[in-house]
Amino acid sequence: MADLRRVVAFTVRHKLRSKAFIVSTVTMVLLVSILINLPFFVSLVQTDKTDTFGMIRDAGGVADALREILAAREGKEAALLVYDDRGSAEANEAFLREKIREGEIIGYLIITGRDETGFPTLEYKSEDTMDYGKMGVLQSGLQALKVGRVSAELGLSERQLAFLNSPVDIRKVQISLSGDDTKSEMEIMIASALVYALVILLFVAIMMTGQMIASEITMEKSSRVMEILITSVKPLTQMFGKIIGVCLVGLSQLLALLAAGFVNLALPHNREAFARLDIDLALIDPMLIVYALLFYLMGYLLYATLFAAVGSIVSRTEDLGQAVVPITILSMIGYFLAIFGIQNPGGGLLVAASYIPFFTPFIMFLRVGVTDPAAWEVWLSIAVLLASIVAFGWLSAKIYRTGVLMYGKRPTIRELRRAMKAYKI
Amino acid sequence: MFSLQLENVTKMFGDKTAVDRLSLEVKSGEIFGLLGANGAGKTTTMRMVLGLIFPDEGRILYRGRPFDRSLVRTFGYLPEERGLYPKIRVCDQLIYLAGLKGMGRREADAALKMWLERFGVPGYYNKRVEELSKGNQQKIQFIAAILHKPDLLVLDEAFSGLDPVNVELLKTTVRELRDAGTTILFSTHRMEHVEELCQNICILHNSKTVLKGSLRDIKNRFPKERIVLVTAKPAAGLEAVDGVASAVWTGNVCDIRITRPEAAQRVLRAALEQTEVHRFEVLEPTLNEIFIKAVGGEIGG
Repeated sequence: MADLRRVVAFTVRHKLRSKAFIVSTVTMVLLVSILINLPFFVSLVQTDKTDTFGMIRDAGGVADALREILAAREGKEAALLVYDDRGSAEANEAFLREKIREGEIIGYLIITGRDETGFPTLEYKSEDTMDYGKMGVLQSGLQALKVGRVSAELGLSERQLAFLNSPVDIRKVQISLSGDDTKSEMEIMIASALVYALVILLFVAIMMTGQMIASEITMEKSSRVMEILITSVKPLTQMFGKIIGVCLVGLSQLLALLAAGFVNLALPHNREAFARLDIDLALIDPMLIVYALLFYLMGYLLYATLFAAVGSIVSRTEDLGQAVVPITILSMIGYFLAIFGIQNPGGGLLVAASYIPFFTPFIMFLRVGVTDPAAWEVWLSIAVLLASIVAFGWLSAKIYRTGVLMYGKRPTIRELRRAMKAYKI
Repeated sequence: MFSLQLENVTKMFGDKTAVDRLSLEVKSGEIFGLLGANGAGKTTTMRMVLGLIFPDEGRILYRGRPFDRSLVRTFGYLPEERGLYPKIRVCDQLIYLAGLKGMGRREADAALKMWLERFGVPGYYNKRVEELSKGNQQKIQFIAAILHKPDLLVLDEAFSGLDPVNVELLKTTVRELRDAGTTILFSTHRMEHVEELCQNICILHNSKTVLKGSLRDIKNRFPKERIVLVTAKPAAGLEAVDGVASAVWTGNVCDIRITRPEAAQRVLRAALEQTEVHRFEVLEPTLNEIFIKAVGGEIGG
């Protein structure tokens, strides 16, 4: 037990201190912070600037009315400057162009005629061809003006107008056949986005930490420090010490990411930005985070033992990449099934795959997150996963004890079995 | 009672025999020489002694008792293929390795500083291993093997790759450890180190024991076949003397090989007839010669 603690402590200390760990953690924390602040940055760009347009005062009063409407808008995305008529169309255009040059306005509206309702048709002119968004503001303002004028002509009351404008009410609700709790559309959206993000995180975290274990072990073998280690500690102690140590390192990285996420989300400016986008983070089911951690730990343990076994039979770091390919493919199948299955999480293939232990961490997590599997389904998959962790842990330990003594080319399965017998493992 | 005892130890890998019925005994406070060419079974023997793999037949006893896991804390091992963590500081990894052998942090730290001081490299305490030269890495590796004061020390090619000054330094240290009661199993190709350090040796060849016993007895068992002769001027016709295989002159020094012991006196007489003899010595065989004879001429010393 004391040896296990020593191996764990040594692994953790040197991983936490390594440049690769520090760089990758800092990068990921920065990335998470930027992602969370993105809505805020976007809102800064959108709201802080008021675009000013120009228009010549017309007899119909369209220009003045539009100015009023834009000025009354929340956020003040656009403002209209109304100028007196310069006498002729040419003089007006020349004057407005001069205003653009002076920087007073960024574009201007010219009345070109009238449509069948008698409302003016217009042209928007500016140097910039790419400002559809800005035109959208002008268009919606003009539309509001037109609706007001036409309804006044038709004699509609304000109430009738409000009825016409009110949107159709349709809401998406997810029902559960096994229970009676329902999820609102917002909950579904947030849950699938979160599940999507967490599946990616699970995959990346499991692969990264697994690779870390394999390369650590191969490094110990290739630098031959293994010879000294195995004369001091039981190979089993050493293998599980390494697995636990790297797990703690991985968890600390995850915690750093989560902490960065929470700190950023708690900042008032971000809370406002999310609220403006109608995203309510309180709708996140805390159980989802618990499941994510649970599946991360179990998935990690399963893959870590496999990576440790592979790391132990490879003698040179250069050969490791090739040797771990089968494990990588296995995990990628589970990952891609989960990513593509997010569209159709109740499909038979996905349900079947969620019981295969190598896929369970990704697919059962997906099912828990976006559908509502029965409790026995979840527990069955977890039981299968736990049983495989024990089985593969045992097998990997056997391979490990043999592998660390074998040098030279990577042994075949037959050679490995013969060596196991010879070493009496 | 012997500190380490191998009785008819046999180890097979598949249908290949790696060690064939090896028996040897080492007393505490003794340096036992395990000699053999590459592939003779030395590493397998050492791995069995260290409890990494177990014999198929026979048994290994430590102070009369069979192997159990708690013994590994009293073992020290310097593997032939050196290995330490390249990117970790000397102090961190040596204290860690000593810790795995059950040594306390502070005690290990003090012992490490003492050894670095003795080996004249106190500055390496905070260095990473990859920053050190090969020879200095070797010194650190040696310290790693002895830091926890093992009872049984297994040294595989302890002095390879070291300059003569450092070889002397380590030899002195090995002798001191022996005098302090450490049992040392010492493997090497370099016969002169064995002659200097070991009382008892065992020569392995193709997994079999070809010679075993005290160095003195083994040497006495082999005939004296070499003569060194120093004269006032070179004497002619020595190679024609009955029983002489060859006589090679280098200046006034002649290196003579004989096939029968009686030939020695005849050579002396033949030389005295021609010139003044300053030195005449019948040499006992070197271990190098014995080794080559024992394992057959196919392997160089």
